[in-house]
Amino acid sequence: MDEMKFANKIVEKAKKMNLDDVEVYYNSSKNLDVVWEKGDLQIPKTDLYQGFGIRVFKNGSTGFSSSNIIDEKEGERVLKRAAEIASITPSEESNILPEKSEIEYVEDIVDERNDDIKLVQAVEKGKEFVENFLNYDKRVKLDTANFNTRLNKRVIVNSKGTKASEEKTVFENMAMAFARDGENVSSFDLSFQIACKLADLSLKEEAEDLAKKVVNSLDAEGVESFEGSIILTPFSVLSIIASPISFAVNGENVINDMSPWADKIGDKVAIPELSVVDDAHIAGGVGSRSFDREGVAPKKLDIIKNGKLNSFIHNTYTAHKMDTESTGHAGGGAQSKPGISPSNFIINGGDKSLDEIIADTDKGILVNRFSGNTDPISGDFSGVVKGGKYIENGEIVKSIKGVMIAGNVYELLNQISAMTEKKQFIQNYRLPHIRFEDVSITGE
Amino acid sequence: MITKLKNILNKSEYWTEIRYHHRQKTSIEVKNGEVNRVEDSTLAGVGIRCLVDGCWGFAATADMSEKALEKAVKEATTAAKVGSSLRKNKIERIAEGEMAQGDYVYTDENDDVELKEKINLFLEAEEFIRAKNDIISGVVNYSKYNDKKIILNSNGAEATIKDIKHDIGVISIGNNGSSQEIGSVSAGVTGGWSDLFADKSLMDMVEESVNIARTKLNAEYTTGGESTVILDPMLVGVLAHEAIGHTVEADFVMSGSIVQDKIGEKVASEKITMIDDGNVEKTAGMTLVDDEGTVAQKTTIIENGILKEYLHNRESAAEFAVIPKGNARAFTYRDEPLVRMTNTYIEEGESSFDEMVSEIDNGYYLKGLGQGGQADANAEFMFGVQEAYKIEDGKITDPVKGITISGQAFEVLNSVDAVGDDLKFALGRGYCGKGQMAKVDAGGPHLRCKVKIGGQQEGDVQ
Repeated sequence: MDEMKFANKIVEKAKKMNLDDVEVYYNSSKNLDVVWEKGDLQIPKTDLYQGFGIRVFKNGSTGFSSSNIIDEKEGERVLKRAAEIASITPSEESNILPEKSEIEYVEDIVDERNDDIKLVQAVEKGKEFVENFLNYDKRVKLDTANFNTRLNKRVIVNSKGTKASEEKTVFENMAMAFARDGENVSSFDLSFQIACKLADLSLKEEAEDLAKKVVNSLDAEGVESFEGSIILTPFSVLSIIASPISFAVNGENVINDMSPWADKIGDKVAIPELSVVDDAHIAGGVGSRSFDREGVAPKKLDIIKNGKLNSFIHNTYTAHKMDTESTGHAGGGAQSKPGISPSNFIINGGDKSLDEIIADTDKGILVNRFSGNTDPISGDFSGVVKGGKYIENGEIVKSIKGVMIAGNVYELLNQISAMTEKKQFIQNYRLPHIRFEDVSITGE
Repeated sequence: MITKLKNILNKSEYWTEIRYHHRQKTSIEVKNGEVNRVEDSTLAGVGIRCLVDGCWGFAATADMSEKALEKAVKEATTAAKVGSSLRKNKIERIAEGEMAQGDYVYTDENDDVELKEKINLFLEAEEFIRAKNDIISGVVNYSKYNDKKIILNSNGAEATIKDIKHDIGVISIGNNGSSQEIGSVSAGVTGGWSDLFADKSLMDMVEESVNIARTKLNAEYTTGGESTVILDPMLVGVLAHEAIGHTVEADFVMSGSIVQDKIGEKVASEKITMIDDGNVEKTAGMTLVDDEGTVAQKTTIIENGILKEYLHNRESAAEFAVIPKGNARAFTYRDEPLVRMTNTYIEEGESSFDEMVSEIDNGYYLKGLGQGGQADANAEFMFGVQEAYKIEDGKITDPVKGITISGQAFEVLNSVDAVGDDLKFALGRGYCGKGQMAKVDAGGPHLRCKVKIGGQQEGDVQ
């Protein structure tokens, strides 16, 4: 089926219905999924999803309806339903479609070999990871491993003349594991790799790294409470730092008075070395997109520049509410109306290696993983350090357990003392290791 | 439709399960005087599972043509074969409960109101929230799932299942200049629109959420430590589902949860009997037939303090040589069935609430799930509490805020010394996440027990 034609037809039909505007968004996803649990292969899965969502506008009211049954008759039914919803919903002047934007297509987000990758190959890839992991050391235990491939296609057509389509492939390997030596059990650790091209995953190295990490965290001991440095790994940066930042700059949270940064544009929110960039145009980036959920072409956006808050991320609705332009961050799929999501979200500013940062730490801990709560409104977080290391005089002294950290993320951004140049890709985030000073660390 | 699916099933060379699932979901969100979202979505298709050479394979498609369905069976078969070459523990057999046959319809489609009326009611309710002193923001969230399923398998299941589930959440955000607090009330049912408001009307929910937020604005923090408490039916439900229920799901049991090999052992006070049952009428977790085609039966997880049964799908039931009772559930056609809970609850006892309060010299009355919470495979949990009051000399006194409770759930159940006579399903807008979502309910009567209280928590806001 030609999705563009299908979408076009609906838009043409809508034009005859006395509506002000209409948008048809289609997406499909062809998935292969292989899961290992308790060291054994579970159920291999294949799934082809296709669906479309229609948004209509009439006198400032909007209606949305969607379906995954792709035929003309269903297209008409869904269009009528969206129009019916618009007719019973109050009007709001920010309910508008964006004007057509010039789209520049992102490169290298499709693996040309994708068509040749069948379930057999996916299972083989998963197996490569699992076997390399299990063979590394007899003490390692696999809780879950998941190898997943996706071919996504997105199409948008609207009554403002926007017509665009894009494909992307994503390959992902995720694992959760621990080590056990008799009664001595390590805490869980995670591994996560993602890329648009299969050849960019290095499963063997990743498997061995994970095995090393869990074995090294056996024999963990307690530490006494102290105030010192914490070094967050990219995983902990994601939960403690990056998620609250993306919450605080999300236009929906800004207009709903949920963001603590709602009135802080231009203000210093972090140390001057820190910058946060959202860049949808990185060749091969898993978060890359040539146009957003509303067909708007995103620009590279400085969210935090030299420690100062520079911009929020918006879709058309939230931008109009704040009297500004969409930044091209409308997110979501065909089953719901556009929300907001970052593309490739990057924390920049580091110039060190992790070894240099450790060597330069007097007394502190390395927070491998964080298990706890982070409240993005107040910024307060508290929780347990998993797979942590104790550092003294520039050296890792021992693995630690039973250690809690607590603090406020928005205050912590001013206590950064070092960042690595190298970043890890986790989902659509690119995050460094970050060290903070004067954090209270609660031990035994 | 059923004939077409039967033909496909009959043509399959291997053990096959075909599950057609058509879902229409309507959702509405009203926030601060605006209709934030009105959406109507259809998600329909077929999930096919095959068992070949001791391994499962799964394929899903939305294309209902005969050709596409045959292709999906082939894909599921291939997936199983590919998997089988690598799977170490082969599935030798799957257990058989009562296979569903015929129509299972639990729905009165006429018990509903027009979408427009719902929008207007929610706008009105939300306006009412913001008109109250000290309240700065209001939200009303509503979802309706209209589900139709056809389930067929090689063991003779042939069932058509229809039900409708509604849920609603009402939130008030209070701010008195120095602090901000949330009051949240919700409800969820399987049934009609009138069932959704059978316990509390929309305006009752509005009043309650406003009162919770305001009470918390004027509450003090308290100090931590172990304490005697009375848990309300919602917290009892959360404890039963989240902290105990997951540990008795057979897949978790097999991967080493705390109750592995503990059937027949005393795990709780003899006052405690805990059940999971998909048959409880009107509850949000009502599941007359599960997604493996098994008719729901009551599972007695704990009887008078003794661990009796785990929750099973057909594969795990065979492994444990028991009968599956309808706990294999899939959220959409694209999901494979997993071991899940339905309605999980603690049976009622004989104590009246007033009696339970009057016997406490120094403790707390704790109501509702607040922000945050987690539980592990070892049944250790930490939950935020929405509303808390001191109990002093047998009387409920001042409100306190920022409370979390923690402990080991079985130890908590061991400490129970009074079980209320007021069973209620109270998870409200409850969803459970386990890779996929599931609508569940849980509850119980008021329970008097001992938990660890964490106090002085700041930032008790969503």
